[in-house]
Amino acid sequence: MSDSSSRGIGEWTSQVRRGLLELCLLRLLARAPSYGYEIVTALDAHRPLASGENTVYPLLRRLKHDGLLATFSQESPSGPPRQYYRLTVAGRQRLEALTTEWAAMSEAVQTFLEENPS
Amino acid sequence: MTSTHPVAARYLAELERGLSAIDPAERAEIVREIANHIADAQAAGRPLEEVLQVLGPAGALARAYAVETILNPKTPQSHWDRTLTLIGFFAIASLPSFVLIVTLGAVGFAFVVAGVAAIGAALASFAGFVDIMDTPPGYALAVGPFLLAGGIAALTALVYYVRFLARLARRTLARTRT
Repeated sequence: MSDSSSRGIGEWTSQVRRGLLELCLLRLLARAPSYGYEIVTALDAHRPLASGENTVYPLLRRLKHDGLLATFSQESPSGPPRQYYRLTVAGRQRLEALTTEWAAMSEAVQTFLEENPS
Repeated sequence: MTSTHPVAARYLAELERGLSAIDPAERAEIVREIANHIADAQAAGRPLEEVLQVLGPAGALARAYAVETILNPKTPQSHWDRTLTLIGFFAIASLPSFVLIVTLGAVGFAFVVAGVAAIGAALASFAGFVDIMDTPPGYALAVGPFLLAGGIAALTALVYYVRFLARLARRTLARTRT
């Protein structure tokens, strides 16, 4: 994994993934509130989205600061109480906006790639 | 409730230290969340070393949190506030940046003060208000602006340097495990 082209791809993927992570997190939490480990595991299930806990956790915190997520505590069977995240009204609005934006962008890219075959 | 493994405890302690710039209630929440993550991962059968390896070094994780709160403040801060926060953040981020920031800051400030003082004293002397200068006032009036310009240049360099570091930090921390 040390040759420059694969390093370049890795970095590009990271950038793209980071941009889309907010969308995926908001969508995940729109279905049901969840907590750290469960969220990370859900993302891990889709390999290209697996972002690493060192990105997901700080991002969750930022989304909370921005008022898009709210937290509440719930007892856990295996340790101290867990911090759950849920979507706020602002979070839902942002999710809608990002979903629309993503749909437009991914369609545009797909069309562009089709119209300009290599 | 299981007691914390010493390796995990050390990791969490190091994380907590790295978060010292964040407010105590928030810091406690973060440490608790990561502690829960470690506990949940182990309960799911993952070995501790692997969990900690995926989390990455505690210092880097702490910086990732700091980046999210400091580089993306929740309340709109004035331009000046943000710049000062960035200076403080990067001054402690590494020794070389600390040295550079302190040098630019001190040189900048000192030169600006000296420049203003020299010009002020020269003008006052010309106007006849004071006559305390050993050096000819013309000399001071000539040198003053250069000192002032040098000081402003140093402070401007400081601001640009700190903004450059902020961009670099954002890009570096965007890289996650692939």
